[in-house]
Amino acid sequence: MSADMKTKAPRGGMLVDGLAQIGACGLFLLALLGAIPRSLRHLREISRQVWFVGAMSLVIIMISGLFVGMVLALQLYYTLSIFGGTAALGTVVALSLYRELGPVITALLFAGRAGTAMTAEIGLMRATDQLAAMEMMAVDPIAFVATPRFLAGVIAMPLLANVFSMLGLLGAHLVGVTWLGVDNGTFWSNMTSNVDVWKDIVNGTWKALAFGVVVSLIAVFQGYTAPPTSEGVAYATTRTVVFASIVILALDFVMTAFLM
Amino acid sequence: MPTDADADALVEVRDLTTMLSGKAVFDGLSLDIPRGKVTAIMGPSGTGKTTLLKHITGQMRPDRGTLRVDGQNVPTLGREALYALRERIGYLFQNSALLTDYDVFENVAFPLRQHARLPEVLLRNIVLTKLQAVGLRGAARLMPSELSGGMARRVALARAIVFDPMLILYDEPFVGLDPIALNQVLKLIRTLNRTLGITSILVAHEFAAVRQVADGVHLIANGRLVASGTPEQLARGESDWTRQFFGGEADGPVPFQYPAGDYAEALGFTGAAA
Repeated sequence: MSADMKTKAPRGGMLVDGLAQIGACGLFLLALLGAIPRSLRHLREISRQVWFVGAMSLVIIMISGLFVGMVLALQLYYTLSIFGGTAALGTVVALSLYRELGPVITALLFAGRAGTAMTAEIGLMRATDQLAAMEMMAVDPIAFVATPRFLAGVIAMPLLANVFSMLGLLGAHLVGVTWLGVDNGTFWSNMTSNVDVWKDIVNGTWKALAFGVVVSLIAVFQGYTAPPTSEGVAYATTRTVVFASIVILALDFVMTAFLM
Repeated sequence: MPTDADADALVEVRDLTTMLSGKAVFDGLSLDIPRGKVTAIMGPSGTGKTTLLKHITGQMRPDRGTLRVDGQNVPTLGREALYALRERIGYLFQNSALLTDYDVFENVAFPLRQHARLPEVLLRNIVLTKLQAVGLRGAARLMPSELSGGMARRVALARAIVFDPMLILYDEPFVGLDPIALNQVLKLIRTLNRTLGITSILVAHEFAAVRQVADGVHLIANGRLVASGTPEQLARGESDWTRQFFGGEADGPVPFQYPAGDYAEALGFTGAAA
């Protein structure tokens, strides 16, 4: 697929345009996957992107995870205390975080923090002829620009989701044990005996991986096909957040139904 | 008109026809670019000069016709062959198109790092040699955002020649340059052509600058080659095309008015006219 690739959706209304976009995105995914062997020659670029989209997102992910865990503990403690079940606080918080909130909220934050950056960067590279210049230097921009960012997102998302959940547990511990007085031993022992590594943590990681694929695909595709104008790049960046958020939530429902 | 027997042509364009949005950008265009010379492609705005460069590099494919670069028919080349050809072509973009994440040194080193596994010392020496040639060795660690337009153009030129190409394409190299930067770029084009024998194709509007470096000029308009010769021959304005273009006349073969319907009708005076 050349750097000149544009999405030429036929003018047939929103439905046809939408279907054409999905088709173009599917073809783009094939091009990304096909470029992986060539992209592995650029390991330095891939690691640079993992640093940029992963490590640089750590702060927002950690802070958000901590506060989500704290709020979760507060809300669940209140609810569980009605039924005299505060001993289950650690279990419920861990299951909520690892199975659902960790992957979903991390993916939404990832789309806003790293996805938009990817879209804007690639869109501006096209607008300033940097992608065309690479083509002219016999360097495939799909293999050098798009695929490393896509792979970086896929690698970073599961790691970030697990960091989010771990910080969430820490936040829940701070509120539940340190502040509200839930027994420390009960908090951890109930959690470790009821949370299954494969069924809960690994399934949550699969979700995060799937979200990493769709968010990175949408971000890179929107950037690569953005019209080379300031308005075009701005619009593409917005679409990354909107489309990624909708797809994350829809895919979450589908995956939850299959992984339950 | 060019003939197939012209053995000195590095680029041979024959009967090139390209339609874009229903409009013929090229309508049977044929021309030759002689090896080892500086050839300017000139013509009215929107006539397809940059598009011709994109055809030469295989970024665009024509609907019909052949375009041979060093004997290879570019529109029929596969990806690998096209990339191999591009490694022998330097392209200077109008906006320089430097990679904004890399400094000047890494921009020039970029093609070498991608295509040649050279020891770092040798790579460094090649890059510094090219930067010295464009007078910017001292700017090696500056970022593109810290360069003036003229400096960026020279860095892009250093990058374009880092592989010692057989052909360099300059897309509007003089636009937006002050007189000093303009003369620097002119000097570089002349030096590269005369010392290294690199064939050069120059898309430009500035005839005064073109006269100083070009060995020949092709004037294209309406998708065809309308005049060809040395800058001096074309400057004499012996045809309507050359008279209008080089004389800067507002009206002529290239009409002042963009094609439109009846003026009176557009103003709603149809009834009054009748």
